[in-house]
Amino acid sequence: MEIVKPAMAGTLESSDAQIMVEPGENGIELFLKSSVMNQYGRQIKATVLETLERLGVKNARVTVVDKGALDCTLKARVECAVFRSADASEKDIPWGGAVR
Amino acid sequence: MGNTLCAIEAWDSRNRRQVDELMQAEGIRRDRNLSYTCGIFDENMRIIATGSSFGNTLRCLAVASDHRGEGLMNEIVSHLMERQMAQGNSRVFLYTKPQSARLLGDLGFYEVARLEDAVFMENRFGGFTGYLRQLVKTRQPGRSAAIVMNANPFTRGHRYLVERAAGENDWLHLFLLSEEAGPIPYVVRKRLVREGVADLSNVILHDSDAYIISSATFPSYFLRDEDTAILAHAKLDLAVFGKIAEVLGVTARYAGEEKSSHVTRLYNETMAAELPKRGVAFRIIPRLELCGEIVSASSVRQAIHDGQLEKAAFMLPESSLRYFESDEAEPVIKAIRAMDEARHY
Repeated sequence: MEIVKPAMAGTLESSDAQIMVEPGENGIELFLKSSVMNQYGRQIKATVLETLERLGVKNARVTVVDKGALDCTLKARVECAVFRSADASEKDIPWGGAVR
Repeated sequence: MGNTLCAIEAWDSRNRRQVDELMQAEGIRRDRNLSYTCGIFDENMRIIATGSSFGNTLRCLAVASDHRGEGLMNEIVSHLMERQMAQGNSRVFLYTKPQSARLLGDLGFYEVARLEDAVFMENRFGGFTGYLRQLVKTRQPGRSAAIVMNANPFTRGHRYLVERAAGENDWLHLFLLSEEAGPIPYVVRKRLVREGVADLSNVILHDSDAYIISSATFPSYFLRDEDTAILAHAKLDLAVFGKIAEVLGVTARYAGEEKSSHVTRLYNETMAAELPKRGVAFRIIPRLELCGEIVSASSVRQAIHDGQLEKAAFMLPESSLRYFESDEAEPVIKAIRAMDEARHY
C-alpha cells in the first residue's frame, strides 16, 4: 500500500497511541516516543514495522507517540492511519487478508 | 469521570469567560487571533482544561491546577491534532511555558527554541535540526552576514541593502520568507530575488521554511495584534534565528530602516536589543531614496494598488519590472488592486 497523504489515527490518552504516517522516500523511517520506552520500546517498534510490512507499505515516515498501548491497539492504529492515508474506504480494506 | 470535551464557539460568552479565567489563573495570555477553541467540562459544567489553535499552531493550552495528572492535556492535544490533520496540517507548532514543555514533549512535541518564559516546539522529530543540517552545508569561511526579507516584491531598495551587506562581508546568507502571505506567490518572489542578485557571487539564497518570521514563529507579523504579543513573538523568532546564525557562523544581520510598518519597526527594535546578546551585530541601513521618495515593497504594492504602474516601475530593478510587465503578472496585479490594504501594518 502506498502512503499518499499525511494521515493520523489514535489518541494520546493512556493505553492508546497516536500514529502519524506521511509519504516518504527512503524506506520506512520510524520515529517513536513512548511512555514505556525503556521496557517496551523494542517490542513497539517491531509491532509497528510488522504491521506496515503486512500492509505492503514500503516508503513512509511514521511517527508514533505511544502511551502504553497494547500490541493489538498499536496494530489497529497503524492499520487505520495507513488506510486513511490511502483514502481506503470500507470496501477497499482487506478484511481477512492483510487485516486479521 | 464524566468529563466532556466540547468546542467553544466565539458567541458562547459564558464559556469564553470561563476559558479566559482558567488561562488567567494559569498565567497564560489569551491570544487575540484564535480560529478554534475547545474545553473539557467537568460534571458541573466547569471548564477544567482548554486549548486553541490558529493555522498550524496550537495555542492557549491550559489545565486547571486542581486537575493536573488526569491526562486532560493529552485529550486536548489529541483533539487539536486530529483537527489539524483534518485541515491537512501534518506539521504543527506550539508555544508553551517552560514548565509545560516536558508534558508536551511526552505528547510528541520537540523543542525548537527556548526563552526564559516560553518554549517553541514542533511535532516533527528532526524538523529544525534537519533544517540546520542543510544550512550548515552552506557555511563559509570568513565574515558572514544575513538578511531576512519578504521581498514582496524585490525592489531596488532590497538590491541596495543586499549590495551593502554583500560588500561589507565575505558572504551573505539571504533568507527569503517561505510563508505565502499576499498576492505575489512565493515562487515568483524567489525568482525575482534570484534574478535580482544573480550578479553577486557571494550571496547564498535560503528558504526560511517555518523557522524565521513564519506564522508559526511570528503570527503577529501577519495578523494585527497587541504590542506585547508582537514583542514576545519577535523575541522567540530571534531565539530561533540565533541558532541559525550559530551554525552558519553569521556575525551580523542587516535590515532596512523602518518608518511606516509598525510591526517591522518593533521587530527591528527587538533585533537591536536581542541580537548582540547572541553574538550577532545588528546593522540598520537607511532606506534607499529615489527622487525624494523612500523605496519599499509596501510603496510598490501601494502604487500598483492605485494603478500607478509608472510610479512602481522606478522602484523596481529590471528583473522585477520585466515580471510586472509580463502577462504572467496580470492576475497578481489584479489581486493587489483588489486589496483593501496594500501596505504592511
